[in-house]
Amino acid sequence: MPEKHDSTESRVTENALEARLPTKTMSINMGPSHPASHGTVRFNIELDGETIVKLDPEIGFLHRGFEKSCENVTWQQCLPYTDRLNYVSALCNNFGFLTAIEKLAGIEIPERAKYIRTIGAEMHRLCDHLTCTAAMGMELGGFAPFLYGMEARELLWDRIAELTGARVTTSYGRIGGVEKDLPEGWVQKVKDTLVKVEEFRQEIDQLLTLNRLFIDRTRDTGVISAEDAVDFGFTGPMLRASGVPYDVRKAHPYWVYDRVEFKVPIGTRGDNFDRYYIRMQEMVESISIINQCFEQMEPGPHIIEDWRYVMPPKPQVYSTIEGVIGHFKLVMEGVKIPKGEVYSYTESPNGELGWYLVSDGSGRPYKVHCRAPGIQLVSGLEHMVKGSMLPDLIPTFDAINMIGGEVEQ
Amino acid sequence: MTDEKKPSLPSGRDEATPGGSAPGIEKGPTTTPPADVAQRPGGEAKPATAVPNVAPASPAAQMQANPGMVNVTIDGIPVAVPPGTPIIEAAKAAGVNIPFYCYHAGLSIAANCRMCLVETSNSPPGKLVPSCQVPVAEGQKVTTNSPRVKEQQRAVQEFLLLHHPVDCSICDQAGECKLQDYYMEHDFRPSRFDMPKWMKNKRKDLSESITLDQERCIMCTRCVRFMAEVAKEPVLGAFGRGQREVIDVFPGKKMTSNYQGNVVDLCPVGALTSKDFRFRARAYFLTATPSVCTGCARGCNTFLDHFQGVPYRYRPRENMDVNQYWMCDIGRRSYHELYEERVSTARVGNARVAPAEAVRVAAEKLKGGPVAVVVSPVLSLEDALAVMLLAREGLGAREIFLSGRADGEGDDFLLRPDRNPNRKGVELAAQAFGLTVRGWNDLGKTKAKSVLLAGVEVPVADDQFASWLGNVDAVVALASNDTPVARAAHVVLPLATHAETEGTFVNFEGRAQRFLPAYPGRDDVMAGWYWATAIGAELGLAYRYASAREVWVEQSKRLPAGALGDFDWDKTPRNRLKGVTPLPGGTVDGRPAGWRQLVPLKTPTSAA
Repeated sequence: MPEKHDSTESRVTENALEARLPTKTMSINMGPSHPASHGTVRFNIELDGETIVKLDPEIGFLHRGFEKSCENVTWQQCLPYTDRLNYVSALCNNFGFLTAIEKLAGIEIPERAKYIRTIGAEMHRLCDHLTCTAAMGMELGGFAPFLYGMEARELLWDRIAELTGARVTTSYGRIGGVEKDLPEGWVQKVKDTLVKVEEFRQEIDQLLTLNRLFIDRTRDTGVISAEDAVDFGFTGPMLRASGVPYDVRKAHPYWVYDRVEFKVPIGTRGDNFDRYYIRMQEMVESISIINQCFEQMEPGPHIIEDWRYVMPPKPQVYSTIEGVIGHFKLVMEGVKIPKGEVYSYTESPNGELGWYLVSDGSGRPYKVHCRAPGIQLVSGLEHMVKGSMLPDLIPTFDAINMIGGEVEQ
Repeated sequence: MTDEKKPSLPSGRDEATPGGSAPGIEKGPTTTPPADVAQRPGGEAKPATAVPNVAPASPAAQMQANPGMVNVTIDGIPVAVPPGTPIIEAAKAAGVNIPFYCYHAGLSIAANCRMCLVETSNSPPGKLVPSCQVPVAEGQKVTTNSPRVKEQQRAVQEFLLLHHPVDCSICDQAGECKLQDYYMEHDFRPSRFDMPKWMKNKRKDLSESITLDQERCIMCTRCVRFMAEVAKEPVLGAFGRGQREVIDVFPGKKMTSNYQGNVVDLCPVGALTSKDFRFRARAYFLTATPSVCTGCARGCNTFLDHFQGVPYRYRPRENMDVNQYWMCDIGRRSYHELYEERVSTARVGNARVAPAEAVRVAAEKLKGGPVAVVVSPVLSLEDALAVMLLAREGLGAREIFLSGRADGEGDDFLLRPDRNPNRKGVELAAQAFGLTVRGWNDLGKTKAKSVLLAGVEVPVADDQFASWLGNVDAVVALASNDTPVARAAHVVLPLATHAETEGTFVNFEGRAQRFLPAYPGRDDVMAGWYWATAIGAELGLAYRYASAREVWVEQSKRLPAGALGDFDWDKTPRNRLKGVTPLPGGTVDGRPAGWRQLVPLKTPTSAA
């Protein structure tokens, strides 16, 4: 609340220089389409001068009723919805969702599928981190890092398109594995691309990491303590920047993360610079993970061969009654997932992506809930910027990397 | 398939299973069962010939561990059932579903599909027993989920699919086919058969309304047994042996029975198809609404299968007191009236007018002088009550004339000579308002200046009655079908059929049965109670109703006390699940992917 000021105060004060100017707080509205905020979100900000007194993020501009929609479609048909959660890293969502279904149904996917999932998820982690760091640079005034970042991301998306058929909305996974095997010659192409991406990453690194302007905006802004971060339910780079070494890939390894070597970068101050720098370092680790996977993986089936869960191959569908029945039942009624509930979680670029699924044994989900990493981060936003200057909101919100698609279910 | 909807407790049926080999089925193509086994279903107990000392189960017998019951354990679940109950029914009582093709509670036991084999504690070592045929024994332990049973089910399924054509995409049964369901439950693996499939006749005409695809048939012989035992027309038989075995009619014979349509429902696969329904709709897109057949005064319980406001077929819904598991073909075809030649807009003369305007003109025309109120017994009880209310209090009538479809031939099973579903109900409604019910022939003697036709079904030729109407000053018709009679009316108000509204029919025994709305009426179509109340409001009556239920709640008090027994209006035949086709439990839910209720049901806020 603004302090009460006597309007005559300045007149009666002997020394006019000590007089306090009467101020009152001002409500300003930022967004929903603000050039310095990526993502469509509206902030109701109360400012005292240039200091943020109160901040109320208003989400909902991208709300699609995703969780409810899932109840009306078959399990497989939910998959394209998950593309649109964090649309910069669709594969992480695809595979996370499928991992939850497979946990519920007790399906063990083939080794090769595990490697392909790890590779795909790490490629999209690179895309997500490139987007976040590059956009952070741009929104703090440097346009060049953004162009480098987008260039690198496009290269990766080209590879993703070769693998899945789409740059962004991949829908590549299937219950029990992945849709198809790696294309011919794709591995070498990805290796070459990763070299290029590393070059671009270094360009961004050189432009931003020791940049005075960038450091001034990010160092010691948007600080949150490790304790508060845990209390708010932060995960991912935001949590690790505060010094908590929690990464689902290490803590509860899935797919092949227990077979590849990688470090989990940890921050010390919990400020925006740490968040930025952790992402820069994680990109190096991701490239390393992908290359290790290429070394380790061996030929084999990319999907299980259980016709209760997996579409029969097309030649069988067209020529055998068993195939056509399997196809018909899976398409018209969906995969029958055993009755029960499950919580399963993977490390998506912004943190823990959790899935709580309930199945009633029919072909459609009874309930789908997505624990998107962004929602906890956005709810901690006010805590991080309260009392700091308005311009600090920009790097802090950038570091959260809120994606409307997943925060608003 | 109606056979899935049997009561969970076998005590509901008064019959013991013939324990010996199935009558005639496995011995040769002649399938006529012994006359003492075949019977008209009607509640009489089948003679329990092969199982000595088995008392018929008493329907009153319940699951308390009383001395009359047999205690068995199914997969570790103890259950007490009446003596003579087949294991498969006992398992159902215990909540264990045993797969089967050939078993049907309304037919004799064939035990030829071998899908229901289970392990029992008292069977010979290493032998599985058919659970549909073997009655329970005291202290018996039944295992239905052992690896051996599972492997047996898988093997049976594989054999049945060996020569099955790759037809799902063009098959009417797809979506409600037991081969599909059981394949996904018990087999789910690729074909191992690399030889040409055996070819049979794919288009065998069995009658005017049934086509047989012999390739799809799995030789369960349900149709053979049905025609012999229930339809009493043993013209079907199993010919040939091994993979050449086919179902066919005996040489020179044809299916002519009025009950032959049931073999299509009975067929667990797509072998027997109805020519009426063939290739018209995909079964898995249809929504089934519990309804009542309006073909005759029996009121067979049905499912009305419809999609996007168009009805596609009736299927019998099990009700042991009315129609058991069956319905006749005359009733089965009667759904055509629900969508063919309908009146969908209000008309004055030949011009379409707004419903409110039509109601105003109707009231004006009826106001004049003595009105002959002609009520069709196709109207529901609620519609009839509202019409009687209008006749008595709005038009000052002292009598009504009963119209309705002309009588036909009945039989000694389901079909009644009276082809109207609600004669009893309309008579009760008239009685409730003290109106004299007069027959159709009295209508010619009336001196009324105007006629109110509530329903345009008449027992004489439509044209004949239409020309008679030409002599009347004013004719107001509540019409669902655009017949010559409807066209002869000066004001036509589009009347909802029982598919588009809810209400009650009272069958010839005085049994009141509820039906539920399947889909909303098109354009201006509204229920009879709505139009009657709206005309009444124009004439100054104070009644206002928003639903059939409101009409019932208020006006049913006038019905003679106890006329409908313990009928409870709110106890609907089955709680309708949104868009759910009640097919085998949990296997098909009938909704196309992403299904939504496309058109909201009309909920009028006020009658006037």
